[in-house]
Amino acid sequence: MKQQPGKIGIREYLSIAILMVGSKVTEDTPTALFQKAQNAAWMIPIITAAFTFIPLFLLIKTMSLYQNKNLFSVIQKLLGKYLGFFVCLLIFIINVFSISFDSRTYTTIIRTFYFNRTPIVIIYAILMGVCAYGAKKGIQHIGSVAYLIIYYAVLLLYLAFVLCTQDSSIQSLFPIWGPGKLELLKQSSLNLSLFSEFFLFALIIPSIASYKDFRKGTWIALVYISIQLSVGIIIFICLFDASLKGIGYPFHTAIRFISIGTFFPNIEILFFVIWLMAALIRFTAFLYINALMFGQLFKIKNFEFLIPALATIYLLIGSIPESPYDLSLQLKPILRSVIGPTFLVVSITLWLVALLKGEFKHEKKRGSM
Amino acid sequence: MKKKVLKPLFKKLNAEPQFSEESNTQDIELKKQDISSNYDQNLATFKSIFSIPKNIDIKVREFIIGSLDRRAFIIFISTMVDAQSIQEGIMEKLIGNDQPSGKIQNITSSPSERTATNIGEITEFITGGVTALFVDGDTQCYLFETTKITGRSIEKSDNEVIVKGAKEAFNEKVIDNIALIRKKIRNENLIVEAKVISKRSRNDVFLVYEKDLVNDELLQTIKDKIASIQTDRILDLSILEQYLEERPRSLFPSILYTERPDRATSFIEEGHIVLLMTNSPSCLVLPATFWSMFHSPEDHYLRTPYGNFIRFLRFQALFVAMFASPLYIAITNYHVGMIPPDLLMAIAGTRERVPFPSTVEILMMEIAFELIREAGLRVPTPIGPTIGIVGALILGQAAVQANIISPIVIIVIALSGLSSFIISDVSMNFAIRITRFLFIFVAAFMGIYGAIALFVPGLFYLVSLKSFGIPYFAPMTPHFISSKDLIIRHVPMKERFRPGYLNPKDTVKQRKG
Repeated sequence: MKQQPGKIGIREYLSIAILMVGSKVTEDTPTALFQKAQNAAWMIPIITAAFTFIPLFLLIKTMSLYQNKNLFSVIQKLLGKYLGFFVCLLIFIINVFSISFDSRTYTTIIRTFYFNRTPIVIIYAILMGVCAYGAKKGIQHIGSVAYLIIYYAVLLLYLAFVLCTQDSSIQSLFPIWGPGKLELLKQSSLNLSLFSEFFLFALIIPSIASYKDFRKGTWIALVYISIQLSVGIIIFICLFDASLKGIGYPFHTAIRFISIGTFFPNIEILFFVIWLMAALIRFTAFLYINALMFGQLFKIKNFEFLIPALATIYLLIGSIPESPYDLSLQLKPILRSVIGPTFLVVSITLWLVALLKGEFKHEKKRGSM
Repeated sequence: MKKKVLKPLFKKLNAEPQFSEESNTQDIELKKQDISSNYDQNLATFKSIFSIPKNIDIKVREFIIGSLDRRAFIIFISTMVDAQSIQEGIMEKLIGNDQPSGKIQNITSSPSERTATNIGEITEFITGGVTALFVDGDTQCYLFETTKITGRSIEKSDNEVIVKGAKEAFNEKVIDNIALIRKKIRNENLIVEAKVISKRSRNDVFLVYEKDLVNDELLQTIKDKIASIQTDRILDLSILEQYLEERPRSLFPSILYTERPDRATSFIEEGHIVLLMTNSPSCLVLPATFWSMFHSPEDHYLRTPYGNFIRFLRFQALFVAMFASPLYIAITNYHVGMIPPDLLMAIAGTRERVPFPSTVEILMMEIAFELIREAGLRVPTPIGPTIGIVGALILGQAAVQANIISPIVIIVIALSGLSSFIISDVSMNFAIRITRFLFIFVAAFMGIYGAIALFVPGLFYLVSLKSFGIPYFAPMTPHFISSKDLIIRHVPMKERFRPGYLNPKDTVKQRKG
């Protein structure tokens, strides 16, 4: 079997996907969801995944017409030069803020929980520096590193979950419907941003060994991550109950709380290590995809050389919010409410345009020939 | 842009110095010529080439061939030939034979005989221990294989010790080394190809591979790489290794160096290519991956559970060797809360009277350990054991009593030092030990965060390393078909594939059922 250079297989793709989207359970997402849907928050990921299925399915269907082309070239091809450019630019700008705010959140977590006397700039700069180095190596190597640590990351995450169950009570989950079924549906539809990264993966299609791998990997990742997110939220609800509302980063509070037996009271470093590695890889991949978008947008072929510059800009944007409070409660909700609908609209529009232009019919004809 | 400006500038600054050298065009021209049929001219030519009689071990013997009644002389290097075989196979036959026979081939009884005409070629053969016979009136020279080089016999492997399995190791005689491989692979497809790599000393390098397994593209890449070497001399295989590597300045090795023929054989049978060289008691295996350095032949000789047990130990040792000291620094300086209170009290108690910060303590002991280790290697054998006593007693016991080091540091250093011995590959061992120091520095700077911020780029670097186009962590990632012999190994019956990254001509070792 011949391996094409610079391409990633399904294992690497799945690892990147799980690390990028799956790590949401370890930041402030569970709290944000709990604030909206109280103790039924754990259902939101599953319902949202079901909602995400439709646009994602349409997107994958549309993308399958243009194999070996990425999302941006498809957008520009279907929507025309000018409209296409503006749509791509919009997606890029949203993602600039998304990566900046997310990386700032992670920096805040590191600072609050582990290095509270270190200046935030230093932590942030090291984080972005590492990511820039990794992103410059290219998607194949990001995938390889992601695959090297994915098993340990997932295993330790579940170990933390299991240890959390020692002190939790299942009663906190009831009443099972939380704020009510209708409210749950409403909140789920508002939280489409949970899985918005999946739309970004359509950008790295040319780097994935085969289109089948991409399709299969995306569905497996979507199902797995929604379950993992939901399990995580169940665990946090059972552990913290109503006080989850006021806990900014439940995963890190939880790992400080748990212990193995009585002799090891503080094992958070164990989880911190693997969490940090996952986070670094997450932002490396995110940074790479962002640079790819930028390169595609402005027709820059060797976009790898832009990565350090882009990383610096993200660092500066991420440093703007004064406090984590501004970030988690004011800026991120705005971003979340924009990302979801944008991707919904973009993918449905793409599909409709392709349908109206008759691309699907052409494909069939080509297939029959 | 910047490079364009700077490159000529650097070139100007680093111009190659000019030397007044003596010209040797005359010698080179001479070597290109063929020998003449004139007996005296040939004799004079070779006497001048070999500086006879200044050069004491080069012998010329003149005589008359009895049966042909023609003058002849033989020339050989007495220190590199077997005098008895010249005596019995050549001289006695030529002088003593009375039957008239037209051909030299039919008179001599030496098992191998060939002819040559080029002066340069003949010179090369003579320096290799071949005896050359010149007959008056003949335009060609007869060469007899009489080489007998003195050297070590086949001994036990010193540096890669195993309990179960073959014990013999390569020695400095390449003939023996090839024989060691041949006797393990009795197959006509095993090819031993010779290539001359350097100009002045004319060192030979031997490519050993199986014709019906090895990927031709890979073989050609390696041959091209060897052909592209431009140098006067390469003394040893370990120097050739540095010439061949893609990144000779990298901390991590990308070619496997082993002295065990059984290991070399197992790689040849997977489709790798092995390089041998005269005067080197080892071989190079190319291409090599992280796994080939990490594994030991014993993993396969032992039964599966035991083999995997030592694999786990080694995997653990890899991490302990690299992270024990940095972790100690990180935890005691940044993450004190992680240590159970009782232990924390104990550590604090022993550190109470030590004046140095823990980073300095660790660094001092690490350096001391490396010193002991290096000293242990270099001391003459008779006083070897003393070093152990000095190291353990003085540095361990006394340093603690003198309040320079706290006892827990001794434990940490001893553990990481011992673990580093478990990584048997010399190059990998160095790589681990040097990265340990890097990790110590970053851990002192930023604790666990610093260590991870170095570890992750380290991983990125490692996965981007390539050995002749093969990724360092193949076949784990990127994935290739293989017998999944990575961190754990399966029973031999299940190991059915040759590694897919080599793209061998025959991937399946054994079919199912």
